[in-house]
Parts: sequence; C-alpha cells; structure tokens
Amino acid sequence: MNIVIVGTGYVGLVSGSCFADKGHHVYCVDNNQSKIKDLKNGIIPIYEKGLKSLIDRNTANGHLEFTTSLKDAVGEADFIFIAVGTPEMTNGEANLEYVYHVADELSEVLDDTRYRVIVDKSTVPIGTAYEVRKRIARNIPTAAFDVCSVPEFLKEGSAVHDTLHPDRIVIGTDSEKAQKRLVELHRPFSNQLFVTDIRSAEMIKYASNCFLATKISFINEIANLCDAYGADIKEVAAAMGLDKRISPHFLNAGLGYGGSCFPKDIKALINMADQVDYDATLLKAVQQVNTKQKYRVISHLHNVFDHELAGKKIGILGLAFKPNTDDFRESPSLFIIHELVKQAATVVVYDPVVGHKARLPDKVEIMEEVTSVFDHVDAVVLMTEWPEFIHLPYESLKHKMRTPVVIDGRNALDPVELKNNGFIYHGIGVR
Amino acid sequence: MKIAVIGTGYVGLVTGVCLSDIGHTVICIDVDQEKVKRLQSGDPIIYEPGLEDLMKKNIEKSRLSFSGNHQTGLAGAEVVYIAVGTPQNHDGSANLNYIEAAATDIAKNITQDTVVVTKSTVPVGTNQHIKEVITVNLVHPVKVTVVSNPEFLREGSAIQDTFSGDRIVIGTDDEQAAYIIEEINQPFGIPVYKTDIASAEMIKYASNAFLATKISFINEIANICEKTGANVDAVAAGMGLDNRIGPKFLSAGLGYGGSCFPKDTNALVQLAGNHEHDFKLLKSVIEVNNNQPLHLFQKAKQRLGDFKGKKIAVLGLAFKPNTDDMREAPSTLLIQQLLEEGANVTAFDPIAIENARRILGDGLTYSESIDETLQDAEATFIVTDWEKVKNIDLATLEQRMKYPIVFDGRNCFALEAVKTANIEYYSMGRSDIANREKLAVGGSNK
Ligand SMILES: NC(=O)c1ccc[n+]([C@@H]2O[C@H](COP(=O)([O-])OP(=O)(O)OC[C@H]3O[C@@H](n4cnc5c(N)ncnc54)[C@H](O)[C@@H]3O)[C@@H](O)[C@H]2O)c1
Ligand SMILES: NC(=O)c1ccc[n+]([C@@H]2O[C@H](COP(=O)([O-])OP(=O)(O)OC[C@H]3O[C@@H](n4cnc5c(N)ncnc54)[C@H](O)[C@@H]3O)[C@@H](O)[C@H]2O)c1
Repeated sequence: MNIVIVGTGYVGLVSGSCFADKGHHVYCVDNNQSKIKDLKNGIIPIYEKGLKSLIDRNTANGHLEFTTSLKDAVGEADFIFIAVGTPEMTNGEANLEYVYHVADELSEVLDDTRYRVIVDKSTVPIGTAYEVRKRIARNIPTAAFDVCSVPEFLKEGSAVHDTLHPDRIVIGTDSEKAQKRLVELHRPFSNQLFVTDIRSAEMIKYASNCFLATKISFINEIANLCDAYGADIKEVAAAMGLDKRISPHFLNAGLGYGGSCFPKDIKALINMADQVDYDATLLKAVQQVNTKQKYRVISHLHNVFDHELAGKKIGILGLAFKPNTDDFRESPSLFIIHELVKQAATVVVYDPVVGHKARLPDKVEIMEEVTSVFDHVDAVVLMTEWPEFIHLPYESLKHKMRTPVVIDGRNALDPVELKNNGFIYHGIGVR
Repeated sequence: MKIAVIGTGYVGLVTGVCLSDIGHTVICIDVDQEKVKRLQSGDPIIYEPGLEDLMKKNIEKSRLSFSGNHQTGLAGAEVVYIAVGTPQNHDGSANLNYIEAAATDIAKNITQDTVVVTKSTVPVGTNQHIKEVITVNLVHPVKVTVVSNPEFLREGSAIQDTFSGDRIVIGTDDEQAAYIIEEINQPFGIPVYKTDIASAEMIKYASNAFLATKISFINEIANICEKTGANVDAVAAGMGLDNRIGPKFLSAGLGYGGSCFPKDTNALVQLAGNHEHDFKLLKSVIEVNNNQPLHLFQKAKQRLGDFKGKKIAVLGLAFKPNTDDMREAPSTLLIQQLLEEGANVTAFDPIAIENARRILGDGLTYSESIDETLQDAEATFIVTDWEKVKNIDLATLEQRMKYPIVFDGRNCFALEAVKTANIEYYSMGRSDIANREKLAVGGSNK
C-alpha cells in the first residue's frame, strides 16, 4: 500500500516508520523545511527508543521517504493520515487550524484517479472528521474518498513499542469500504481492532486520556490525605491496584500529569462540553487538582525552610514531563523552577535529554553532570523519575550539599534508605 | 480456629458463613434478638445467591451458630470480627456508635488473649480508637491486638466475592496477629496484602471512592455524548480495551447507590475536611451521581410535558440487580419526584418491594409482574437492569403500554434492536430513537 503521513511529530514519524517497517511505502510530509532536511540526513528531531534504527533501516530500503511537498506525495496514495498538531487555544479549545490547513491543501492537490482513505490521527473534537470531509470535497467534488478517525494512543517514551503492540486500535468510520481497508492495514499490529462510528471514535480518544488523568488526580488527592493521616500512598495504591476493576496502572502519586496530551485533552473536552451547555464538573475538578498538585513540592520546601526560600540554592533533577522522553511541554518541573525563581531561590538543574532545549529563566543554571546538581545546595528536588536518578550514590553526594534535604516529587526513591543515611526526606503521601 | 463475628448484616453473616464453610467454628452475634431467632432457624433474612444453602449446611455440621448474647457468644473465641454497621451521620461522617458498643462488648466479655479484626468500613485511625476503648474497658487482664481487614464483597455476589476476591488486606503492626489472620483465610486461596493499619483503613475508602469516580466519570462522558452525537456504550467499550482503564464499572446509567459507595464517598470527603483539605474531585463525583436520576427525569418531563394523573411504570427498585437492598437506590429519588408531580406510579421489582415500601410508603403501586406494571402506562422508566428487565420483548412494551415511551436509565437495549421496534426510546449517553414516523403517540409533544 502507499501511505502518506502528514506531520512528522511524535505521532506522524513513529506511525510512518512503523507502517514502512511492515512493508508499505510511506511518504512522511512536513511543511517544516529544516525538519525534513534533518530527517533526510538521518537526524531524528525527537528522542524515542528504537526509532532511529527503524528509520535508518526503512530509508535504506526505500520504504520510507521524507518530503515537504504534499502534492508530490499524494499522487499514488491509498491512505493519507493527518497527524499534525492540535494545540490548545487560550480558552482550552483545540486549535484545528493545522488540521484544516491540511484538508484545504488536500482539496487542492488530490485528483479523482483513485479511491483514498483519509484518516484523522490527530486528537480532534467530536465531529471534526465531517468538517474535514467537507473541506476536502470543496475543490474535488467527484473524487472518491472517505474520511475516518483512527485516534492515536501511543505514549511518548515508548512510542515505537506502543505502535507495534497496542492494547487496541480504534477505527471510526461510516463507510464499509474504508472500514475494510483500514482493518486490513491495521490487522498486522493487533487482533483487537475496535470498529465504531466516527463520533464515538473521536470521543474514545478524549475519554481515555481524561480517564487516565482522572486516575492520576484521584491518587494524588489520596496521597495528600495519606500525608494528613499517616497512611502510606504506596501501600494504598498497591492494594487498590490488586482490584481488577481498578488496575494498578496510573496509580503513582506525584506532582500530576504534564506533557503534550493530558493537559490539553482535558481542557479540550471541558471546552467541548461547555459548547453544548454541559458543565463538566468532574473534569474541571480533575484539572484543578492537577494545577495545585505541583505546588506540593513548594510547600514541602516551605515546611523544611520555615517559609523562606530567598537565597536558598535548590537543585532540580529532571525537566522532561516523564522519563524516556525529551518532551517538556506542560512539565511540572518548569512550573516549579519558575516558582522557585520567583521566590528568589537560586536554581540549578539537570536532565539527561532535555538539557538546553527548555527555555528557562536566565538565572537558572543547566548542569552537564547530574552530580553537579548537589554542589552546595540546600535541597535537591526530584521532578522526573529518570532511572539514573534513582540509582545515584546519595550517601556520598550528601557531603556536597549544604543541608541534606531531598524532596521526591515522584515517590521514586527509597525513603527508608535515605532517612537512614541522614537525609531529611519528603515524598508525596509516603512516610 | 474458634471465631466470633459481631453483627450479622450482609458483611457479618456472609463472613461468618464462609469462615465456617472453610472449617472454622463460628458463632455470629447480633443485638437484634428477632434476627438471631430467624438466623438460628436457618433463615438468612437478607437475599444473597447461595447464602441460604451454605448457611444451612454449616449449621447442620455444627460449625455455625448464632447468639443474641455477647457473654456466651464471645466465650472462648480466639479471634473476634467486628462487622457492625457504620452508617453516615448528617454531615456525611461515619457514625462509630455501633463500633464503640461492639468494642465495649468485647472488652467486658473476653477471657483470653484475643485478636480483634475490624471488617466494618471505618475512618483512618478508628482501629487505634477501638484498641483504646477495649483496653480501657477490659475486665480480665488479657492481651488484645487489632487488625484492620476491610471487606470488599459486593451485595448480589457476596458469597462468590468472599471465595474468589481479588485480594485480602490485612493491616496490623503485630506480626503474630497478621500471621493468625492470614492462616484463617488461607483456605480461600486469595492473594494477601499485608500493610499497616492506617493504610489498610485508607485502602477501603480509596478503592470504593475510585470505583465511584469511575462511574461518575462515564456518566459525565455519557452526558457529553448525548449532546455531541457519540454513543457512550461504544465509547466505554473502546476505552475499556485499554488495560490501564479496564472495562469494569464503565456502564453509563443512573449512577451508583447502595449501602457503601454513597456513604464511603461522603465519609472520605468528611475525613479530608477534618484536615482542611477540600476534596473537590470527590465532591464532583458525588454531584454528578446525584444529578443522574434527575437528568433522566428532566428528559421525560420535557417529552411528556407533565405527569399529572398519568400512569408511569418503573422497572426495578433495588439499587442494582440481584439484591433487595434499597439503601440510596436511584429509584427512590426518581419515584419521589414522579409522585410529587402527580404521577400514578406502578413499580416492578422481583425482591426489593418489601424494603422499598419502608422507604417510599404506600403512595404507589408495587408489582412483581412486569406485564402488570406496563399495562396502559404512558411512559416507562427502566431503573434496575434485572435480567428479567433486559430480556423484555420490545413488542411487549408496544402492546401493553398506552404510549410506548421508554426512558431507559440502564441502557438495557441495543439501539439497533430498538430501531426495529415500535417504541420511542430515550437512554443514557446515546441518541434518542423517536421512531416518530412510525408512531402517532400522545403526550404533549414539544
Ligand atoms: N505526542 C503524543 O504523545 C500524542 C499521542 C497521541 C495523540 N497525539 C495527537 O497527535 C497529534 C500530533 O501530535 P504530535 O505530538 O505528534 O505533534 P507535533 O507538534 O510533535 O508534530 C506536528 C507536526 O506537524 C507538522 N505540521 C503542521 N502543519 C502541517 C502541514 N500543514 N503540513 C505538514 N506538516 C504540518 C509540524 O511541523 C510538526 O512537525 C496531536 O493532535 C496530538 O494531540 C499525540
Ligand atoms: N454491605 C456491603 O456490601 C458492604 C461491603 C463492604 C463493607 N461493608 C461495611 O461493613 C459494615 C457492615 O455492613 P452491613 O451492610 O453488613 O451492615 P448491616 O447494617 O446490614 O448490619 C449490621 C448488623 O450489626 C448489628 N449490630 C449493631 N451493633 C451491634 C453490637 N453491638 N453487637 C452485635 N451486633 C450489632 C445490627 O443489628 C445489624 O444486624 C459497614 O461498615 C459497611 O460499610 C459493607
């Protein structure tokens, strides 16, 4: 099959290279010239485990090509996937400008020489596929095509693995012909193909992400209660997770969700509800909890330092919103750094992949070595649970610190060991 | 092991019966003498599949007995389970009067070292309190250890849940006590999770509160689906395939009820409030839940204009199928609302009528026949998804009812099936099926 993927971000690039690896011919299209130039030279703009070798292999055998020209790519295409960004606007609504732009472009460049399945992979509000269809049809009323929704569920940090071994693939379509083709195309990836109508498919994506966000906010609230009542959130979460109706995933208490998806998808669904006059109370509460949760770190620091952080030097471990990714959009770490700077603390930071990519306040120093984060600091705060942070020689690093304070925003460290080594330790809901 | 169980409600009785069935000698104690008499005669009083047989079998084998007297009941017991009620106070907090009374009863009557196991759902810190109450009131100088062993059974499948639960939580600081309780439960073959007391107490509330959250979450999604044209059943099925989410507790409907979720969520909100923590998330879960029955009622009101003098059928009273428990059942709110607006309500339920009458009174007609309930009704509400209700032939609705307008609070029927029937159908989080072209129905059509 000939496949075109429009947009080479996390989603487009990963699904494009995975399709290529199954033997299809894939064109990845992006209007960002320098990105395409890099990709052609084997430079991968994002960090994902296994992605580079996948791309190298499939560009070498000619299955995977990169271009900036949508027109050149779509000529022979059987499938066209739209995987461009859908960032949030200030009111939380999903910005469909990029998706519609692609639709309008397709309307210019498609011809009626063959039937095509056009697929929304981007996360889009309910009903968007119908608008995309209308826009594409504008200049080519006779072209044979269907617009379907196949929402993406990959997670940054394990994107390649998730694409090759998904729990399920959701296919939303109202056309039998498109359904048949999409089932055929996705069958090699999963036995669990869930076919439904377009609107429900679009909703499944939002509902799934929002549920996981709800789970995170829920366990964070319980962690806060554990702090108040002397229970231990790790114990509570572990036993809750044994209940099959609950499942152990997404029950790690911490500083809340971040990244490019959960925050924006929650806001978008709240906005969608608002637009149909439904007040999504529960979702709003989930979001409020998340907004507040990051400041637990600050309040722990306040408790330790008697509400005065001015002049204190704080070392931050981690910038990415979670480990194994270089994505720091909406990362709690950034909020905390800004807050600390606002409170006149001195901040030094280390992250193994984000490094200098993040835009930080001027005064913040980015370290090249993880151990430098401990030099003469009053406290170290773990913000991303990168494996290398968990296995640091804390006992010896303690001697570099001004005061041995560790705030563990991810409950990733062993409290007993640290306390035995003379640290003042605070996690989120752990004793 | 010689075991005494205090309180013979759903939890105490099922626990006592199951512990006797795996070989222990169990005596169940209750202050309600009438109840004790009936239990002694082999009448389980409450309805639970399999309970009566199991109970009779173990009474016959002399492993299970009942007593209305704490002195005789507690004599010689090595382990005492507390399974009395912890209803909610007006402010939503848990009422611990029964727990304290049971603790005092224990203190006055035990004559040997005893492990006291709390099965009742109690706020964090209560087991510590129980220990204090017992210690203060002890008559004989014996050693008492407390264990929190929260109960996870569900009404309607209580026996099955006890024999094949997901986990048994044992919370105590005393290793020896933990060992004893683990040994007692060993024949069930269920994974044991040992932890400290406070965490065990929290596990129970957190688990229930999370499941309540899951229900309100899908109901909120249903309400959005309804307005955007998606189908919540498809959405839930698609979500449920995600292993991190799981398919359970994702049925949109009239919300949760029963003796646990409502009171446990309220208690947790209260518990948070005690520490000046505003548990907004859980408050919103409760709010969504309270709104669900009213949401369906409003839909009906919009469709029918008013209810005055109209016969309205209600299918199902119990808060969920396979139980006669009416505590906090959504049917209550809905029926009260209908009666207030002048409807003539006839309600069907196979086993909950007796309990329902105590709450709802005689202002409506009760029936154990679906056909009779539907006869000449101008609208039907489906409230409990009893098997019998789900198996109704849609043609019956058309034939029996005056106007076949159905408000299905439990999404009992597939939309495809409804489309081929001559009924007007409104459900939760799915498109309305008016079938108006096929129907010339009454009511003040808006
Ligand atoms: N990142 C994730 O983990 C993830 C997971 C599931 C779903 N999604 C959804 O998938 C979509 C894409 O996410 P992403 O993280 O890959 O986005 P991204 O911002 O990383 O990438 C989008 C790419 O599209 C390109 N683009 C924009 N307009 C274009 C046009 N007209 N023609 C060609 N290229 C164009 C951009 O240059 C950019 O490279 C979003 O809707 C997102 O919500 C993302
Ligand atoms: N019902 C459930 O599905 C369920 C599930 C899990 C946990 N729980 C929890 O278990 C506890 C019991 O619930 P239930 O539904 O079985 O309650 P219930 O109200 O049905 O039964 C309580 C029984 O205890 C008796 N009792 C009260 N004080 C006593 C005393 N001092 N001595 C002896 N007997 C006494 C009462 O007469 C009554 O029969 C509650 O804390 C509840 O939250 C219930």
